Amino acid sequence: MPSTTSVVDQLLVAQHLSKRFGGLLAVADMSMEVRKREIVGLIGSNGAGKSTTFNLLSGFLPPSGGRLYIDGQDMTGRTPEAISRRGLVRTFQHGSLMRSMTVEENILIGAIGGMPKAGRKARDARVREMAELVGLQKALRETAGNLPHGMQRLLSIAIAFAPRPRLLCLDEPLTGLNQAEVAIVLAMFGHIRDAYGSSILLVEHNMKAVMQTCDRIYVLHHGKLLATGTPAEIRENQQVLSAYLGNTNAH
Amino acid sequence: MTDRFIRNGLPGLLAVAAASLLVTSGYAGNLIIWVAVAAALASSLRFVLLIGELNFSVAAFFGLGAYTSGVTTTIWELPFWLSLLASGGVALLVSMVFGFVTLRVKGPYFLLIGFAFTEALRILYTRSEWLGGNSGMVGIFPPEALSDRFPTFVVLTVGAMILVLALIERSHLGRIFTAIRDNDNVVRSVGIPVHLTKVLCFCIASFMTGVAGALQAFSNNVISPLDFSFLLSTFALAYLKVGGEGHPGGPILGAVILVLLASVAQGFGGAEHIFYGAAIVISVLFLPSGLMGLAARLCRRGARPGVARAAGDL
Repeated sequence: MPSTTSVVDQLLVAQHLSKRFGGLLAVADMSMEVRKREIVGLIGSNGAGKSTTFNLLSGFLPPSGGRLYIDGQDMTGRTPEAISRRGLVRTFQHGSLMRSMTVEENILIGAIGGMPKAGRKARDARVREMAELVGLQKALRETAGNLPHGMQRLLSIAIAFAPRPRLLCLDEPLTGLNQAEVAIVLAMFGHIRDAYGSSILLVEHNMKAVMQTCDRIYVLHHGKLLATGTPAEIRENQQVLSAYLGNTNAH
Repeated sequence: MTDRFIRNGLPGLLAVAAASLLVTSGYAGNLIIWVAVAAALASSLRFVLLIGELNFSVAAFFGLGAYTSGVTTTIWELPFWLSLLASGGVALLVSMVFGFVTLRVKGPYFLLIGFAFTEALRILYTRSEWLGGNSGMVGIFPPEALSDRFPTFVVLTVGAMILVLALIERSHLGRIFTAIRDNDNVVRSVGIPVHLTKVLCFCIASFMTGVAGALQAFSNNVISPLDFSFLLSTFALAYLKVGGEGHPGGPILGAVILVLLASVAQGFGGAEHIFYGAAIVISVLFLPSGLMGLAARLCRRGARPGVARAAGDL
């Protein structure tokens, strides 16, 4: 059993999570935590188990073993809806939006999720606030599926943050963005933490951005936790260098 | 688009109802009722299509409504209003259980379960002595006061229900329905209970289907199991595809055109099904968004030169 303080003080605590698909152990003995007002990176090569970990944390997959606490409450085996209402909202790597609906309606879905009992006015205000946060206030009437790729990524963040989660889990939010767009999104992460007090958990392949933004980093390798620490510590870690970063630098 | 439908809907409905007052009985009156009931079926089908599911159990709930009105009127002798409400209520309650169990599967699986449920109920009616077995039930009459004006009553009831569906579609709840069709994982991830929302959508549609079934029973005075086969769901799909599913007016337009066509075709010796078949083929091949979609395209094409002229005048 964990010491009770760690479960209560942390926003997210995962203890020895594992996921088995038939004979394949996709995630093994994964323990991690996210504190309040923290930006945490989750990195690893393709097939390292990042997406499975994300699915376990957000309830989209039930764990084969281990426990999950969100904001001090045991959420192991709960539905994605319950975990979302507890304050953890995630995006999806591929297609995190409703393509046939307008930008406004897309964000509205997030606002409804976060304020199920609120009236039309409060929800509309939230939609405008989120559109301004990601800079889509001029595109509210556009159909989401017609937006350029970068704006679609921004929109998916706006939808996910509209319920005002305490922990925003983003699955590769920077993929396919140009340098200017990456800079905007990274600045937005800082704003989300500083102005709203939310934490962010990030799965991302853009190492430069991860090193620059994250307070702490978890490195996954073959479904297991390889290392954890500050960006500086990860950069120096010999295991990580040989297993992952070494390869990236070689390109 | 939906906004304009709702604004013009009430005056339009009242106009149609007033016109139907001129037709009191006989074949024309029956035709009005058939069109209205067909429009109700197709609108109900379209409503469940908002969450992305093709609801082939629509015929089952239509039958449930009809048989409920039969039982409550001829066996229990309840007043008409109560019978009508009970028909919707029974359809709603059964759809709640049916939807809760089956809406976890999607697409072709949900469609097939709906088909199986429809046929299972139909066989149940034939085996039940209480429900009249193969010959069904007779003597389902509306009250005296309404019998002369029954077409008008049906038009008003169906029209009001279609307007309510359009209002729901335009509401935030309706937005959630469409979002579930587009990407249910995102809806789930922001904390909206997707499964219960789908069940709710299904229940609303089934209530309307049940009431429509009762209206049909009261208008025919007779029901039999064969009236409620899965073919009814196929017809509803035909009305919807021909009219266009992108607009709440689509199912109404499709119902008007196909029911009138079928009525003309009946003069050729009961080959009206060929018209349904041809209408579906033509609309699927040439009118992917139905007649409403075609009308919208023509309107835009017509509007464009007008806009250009107006701009030129400035």
